[in-house]
Amino acid sequence: MLRYVTRRAAGWFLVIAVATNATYFLASSFLDPRSNFKELRPVRTDEQISRALAPYNLDPHEPLLHRWWDWLTGVVLRFDWGRSPVGVEVNGEIGYRSLVSAQLVIGATVLSVVVGVALAVHTASRQYGWRDRAAQALSMALFNVPVSIAALALVLLAIRLNEQAGWHFLYVAGEKSPDVEGFWATLGDRLAHLILPTLTLTLTGYVGYHLTQRSLLLDVIGSDFVRTARATGLTRAQAIRRHALRTALIPTAQSVAFSIPAVFTGAVLTETIFGWNGMGQYFIQTINKNDVHGTVATAAFAAALTAIGAILADITTVLLDPRVRVS
Amino acid sequence: MGIPVSPDTTPDGLLATAPGPAAQRPPSGHDGRYLGRRRLYVRRFRRNRTAVAGVVILLLLVLFSAFGGLFTPYHFSDADFSALTQAPGAEHWFGTNQGGNDVYASAVHGLQRSLVIAVTVSVLTVAVSAVVGAGAAYLGGRVEKATLALIHFLLIVPSFLVLALVSHRLAGDWRVLILVLTVFGWMSTTRVVWSVSTSLRERDYVLAAEFMGVRPLRVVLRHIIPNLGSLLIVNLTLGVVSTVLSETALSFLGFGVQTPDVSLGTMLADGAGTITSAPWLFAFPAGLTVLLTVSMTFVGDGLRDALDPTSTTGAAGGRR
Repeated sequence: MLRYVTRRAAGWFLVIAVATNATYFLASSFLDPRSNFKELRPVRTDEQISRALAPYNLDPHEPLLHRWWDWLTGVVLRFDWGRSPVGVEVNGEIGYRSLVSAQLVIGATVLSVVVGVALAVHTASRQYGWRDRAAQALSMALFNVPVSIAALALVLLAIRLNEQAGWHFLYVAGEKSPDVEGFWATLGDRLAHLILPTLTLTLTGYVGYHLTQRSLLLDVIGSDFVRTARATGLTRAQAIRRHALRTALIPTAQSVAFSIPAVFTGAVLTETIFGWNGMGQYFIQTINKNDVHGTVATAAFAAALTAIGAILADITTVLLDPRVRVS
Repeated sequence: MGIPVSPDTTPDGLLATAPGPAAQRPPSGHDGRYLGRRRLYVRRFRRNRTAVAGVVILLLLVLFSAFGGLFTPYHFSDADFSALTQAPGAEHWFGTNQGGNDVYASAVHGLQRSLVIAVTVSVLTVAVSAVVGAGAAYLGGRVEKATLALIHFLLIVPSFLVLALVSHRLAGDWRVLILVLTVFGWMSTTRVVWSVSTSLRERDYVLAAEFMGVRPLRVVLRHIIPNLGSLLIVNLTLGVVSTVLSETALSFLGFGVQTPDVSLGTMLADGAGTITSAPWLFAFPAGLTVLLTVSMTFVGDGLRDALDPTSTTGAAGGRR
């Protein structure tokens, strides 16, 4: 099992490396830091601009391959992700932000899987009952709501609730309050800020798991091994949970990795709407400021999240599927 | 934003309904009681009430986007400085925004823009994935392996980030946005088409065509792709939904359609800041977007049920 997981992890690492380098070339050709100087008065000459950008490895007169090599050695040897066009270190920016975004993305993904699968188990064993139909209708409706609309609707609802309760318990802006001290107070404050963004991403994210897991479960619920399990004296619920679900979970576990890019996209939107200082918001800032290194670091972060999800999915597959364990 | 369909959850039943060229039946005629294929599909589709509701809503939306502009004297780019941020009323049906633009006229234009982008991208995506997916499956060998590797790589790479990066430089023009969304949106459909085509390539009529000396390109275009018809039609409608979602997301963040042009996404972004003080700026585009995606999904699901007799048990896997 360890060998299988290590091999898969190595493959994912390769994918991250290729993706990050590809993004570097894409970002270098599509973002032009020189245009940041256009607005400045007095007008800067080409030479002045080059001289200003050269210390940050962004000088367009330097061949692209040279710049890439400098950047790559910096990342590999010193874990230095470079500097923005005005000289701010990318490392300093992403350290805190990546934690903020990671808790949002991972929390939402885990919650989506748990809610989706639980709902699928509940509804699949009551196929065409009213609860199944109601959950199906709700999921269909939520599936079609863009993240931006869901987030803003929640903001509106939260403001109403806060007014009704006369107590500010749902936070619609920021990832923390500025004046909270002490470990437990900070933790509680962070969690309170997490509620709405995570809820947004979960509401738009669980649907895929619910619908696919439900149909996967329905496919196996009628099969012989589930009937055999019942014949050994298990109740219907036990047979579904211990035998049917175990088989049906394998494709879902595999699909988690592919869904993480979508969750990250959602995180970009929710961070913008809820005013979080996370990686998603940083990505938009860096693109608008033609910050090549910052953009690449964000892409690497997203790829790393995907890879973590994929490796966790691989481990789950190994635990669920005896065929993988044996070979 | 859903989970890409994995090959083993693709309904095999889709294949059963699509008759191959060899099995093509006459559409009507030799028997009075014989029901044509098309009429059978229409009858099945009409039995599905949500699907019919979806078609009605969708038609209304299309009519609204095409002819809605005739009912207002305002143009979406006209600014009425005597009415800034005005609530909906007799003069401005949906109110006006901070710049004095009529929200009704903007909504008509924005819906039109989003619809044109979504439909074009979806048609292009389905065309690309049909040719690439079926071609890779039919040719097999190295071509197939390379295509699959590329697809998996692109699925893992956060394509939204790449989209934002590329469209930041090129966008503002909706035609460029169409191109960019197509280039980064063909992968998951291609994967589904590929997985279904792998079983089609073993069929007898493909073998028969090969024995007759038909060239590979012609086999793919003439014998494999027509038999994916139902799958492609369903993916076309659901592709419209996912394109609307990504277009609104991109435009919302300022990377898609840009001012002075208007789409549903830019209208949502405009309304987001004033959600408590001027809710109508957000409510109308949000309502239109959700109506569009929901009706399109209903139509897609209805089409799948109509074209695929085995899907009544909800056997279909992912919905994208």
